Amino acid sequence: MTMTSRAGISVDRLEAAARRDPGPADVGDALPPAQRKPASRALLARHSPWILTMLSVAAGVVVWAIASRTLDSPLFPSPLRIAQALIESIGNGTLLADIAVSVRRIAIGFVLGCLVGVPLGLAMGLFPLVRAFCDPVVQFLRFVPPIAWLIPAIMWFGIGETSKIAIIFYMTVFLVLLNTMTGVAAIPRNQLRSAENYGVSGWQLFAWIVFPATLSYSVAGARIAMGNSFAAVVGAELIAANAGLGYRIVDSGQWMAMDQMFGAMLVLGLLGIAADRLARLLATRFLRHYVHADDHGD
Amino acid sequence: MATEPVAAGSQAAEQGSIAVRDVSFGFGSGRPEVLDDVTFDVASGEFFVLLGPSGCGKSTVLNLIAGFEQPTQGTVLASGRPVAGAARDRVVIFQDSDSLYGWLTVRDNVTFPLRVQGIAARERDERALAALKVVGLKGHEDKYPGELSGGMKQRTQLARALVLDAPILLMDEPFAALDAQTRSILQDELVQLSVTMRRTVLFITHDIGEAILLGDRVGIMRAGPGSSIKETIVVHLSRPRRRGSAEFGALYDRIHRSISEEVQQALRREDSLL
Ligand SMILES: Nc1ncnc2c1ncn2[C@@H]1O[C@H](COP(=O)(O)OP(=O)(O)OP(=O)(O)O)[C@@H](O)[C@H]1O
Ligand SMILES: [Mg+2]
Repeated sequence: MTMTSRAGISVDRLEAAARRDPGPADVGDALPPAQRKPASRALLARHSPWILTMLSVAAGVVVWAIASRTLDSPLFPSPLRIAQALIESIGNGTLLADIAVSVRRIAIGFVLGCLVGVPLGLAMGLFPLVRAFCDPVVQFLRFVPPIAWLIPAIMWFGIGETSKIAIIFYMTVFLVLLNTMTGVAAIPRNQLRSAENYGVSGWQLFAWIVFPATLSYSVAGARIAMGNSFAAVVGAELIAANAGLGYRIVDSGQWMAMDQMFGAMLVLGLLGIAADRLARLLATRFLRHYVHADDHGD
Repeated sequence: MATEPVAAGSQAAEQGSIAVRDVSFGFGSGRPEVLDDVTFDVASGEFFVLLGPSGCGKSTVLNLIAGFEQPTQGTVLASGRPVAGAARDRVVIFQDSDSLYGWLTVRDNVTFPLRVQGIAARERDERALAALKVVGLKGHEDKYPGELSGGMKQRTQLARALVLDAPILLMDEPFAALDAQTRSILQDELVQLSVTMRRTVLFITHDIGEAILLGDRVGIMRAGPGSSIKETIVVHLSRPRRRGSAEFGALYDRIHRSISEEVQQALRREDSLL
């Protein structure tokens, strides 16, 4: 008895801590009236995420500008120079072409990876025999990073698109597969039991329970993969490529065109953010109820 | 230790009867037995309540009858037939509300068992609405489980079980999360269902008053491990029952004493192990 109550105290503390976590919501409104700030401060609190974002970006630019000014080296082009290079590359069409090439590689590899990763992850989660057979290979390969496959991929698939897409595909498959498998294991037992109770057939269990119950896990895996694929595409374009953002970084670096190089890096980062935001938007829009009650937000 | 004679004979086992015979159960070898020689019968249309200290194995008994688990020894019969797996003639209301499907609305959760059977959408919705009315959730059809309180989830589960019109209801502390008023309304509904529709109910609770209020008979389980039915008590009070009466109080005390004994014994056993 005493033990449970003692344990209870610490659990209470944890929960209190969790409640204190402000999360994405508007903190100002959650405070009791006595702690409310005056109107102007409340306004600041409401818009603070945006204000802080702007400040953060501005600070980054300023730090870069100061560094570039004080060092006065061609290795540190000023923000203005980088912007000019960007505008120039938009003007002559290279930027859009590079973006198109890289995004296409990412998109194809990513979609193929999801198309293979989700069913395989479900099958491994559902059927012990499939899991027993595939798991050793999966466990081994997941510690061999995509970049390690770059040379063999080029040797096998040539220097064309296939080798680059294969790298993205490889990376996506494992993340999606492992997450999906975890999702199957995490289905509450009573959800399966109740479905069994109502006499669902095999395919009904799959389509009506297992797939929707696992979807949020697959999507979480896909989101991580989407983020990583921007790193992976640079890796894939390091060697034997003649277009793409990764190629542009390597190529302009070799020509000491640092402004172009940083411009491409900037675009890469922005594209990554945009892709992640889009994925998040779609997930909250269409998958809100597929997410388990506790993992809302993030 | 007065065990009442069992009701229905095994021969003419009626639709809706339950028979648990010499059942033992453990979660795999090397672990202590949870149940050791559990035997009891529930007649068709009877309201049978299981009481016992926490962790003694009440939910486990229910899982065996539901067909989610198989006994290591002994037999479980439903409507006279051996239980081979889960089936919709024995519908379960789970102790935890995590059995609700988070991606479906309350309505779609409640119609789910009917959808499985291929019943047309019109009829599904009508039956779901009727069941939701019974549990007092009309107007909440379009909410998702994540937007419900604990008691509302429990009532959604109840509605989802009721749409099936199953002859046997297996209910694991279904009213534990409810306020006294809602609970009392649902208790009345349940008694109605069991008396007028002659549904068989196996009902687990920790609330002795609720057990006496609802049950035709009350089975008390020993503290585990190796739990069994300690005694079965027939509730001779006429319905509708009231909590205030002298007989009610006497029965309450008797059951309370019986369970306390078990809890005390379990504590002593734990102490001697330490
Ligand atoms: N999945 C499981 N694996 C191993 N042991 C289990 C499992 N589920 C239950 N047990 C054990 O079986 C025993 C009986 O559990 P059960 O859930 O049937 O108790 P209960 O009487 O329903 O308790 P409560 O009143 O607290 O719900 C407990 O000692 C528990 O530790
Ligand atoms: Mg229980």
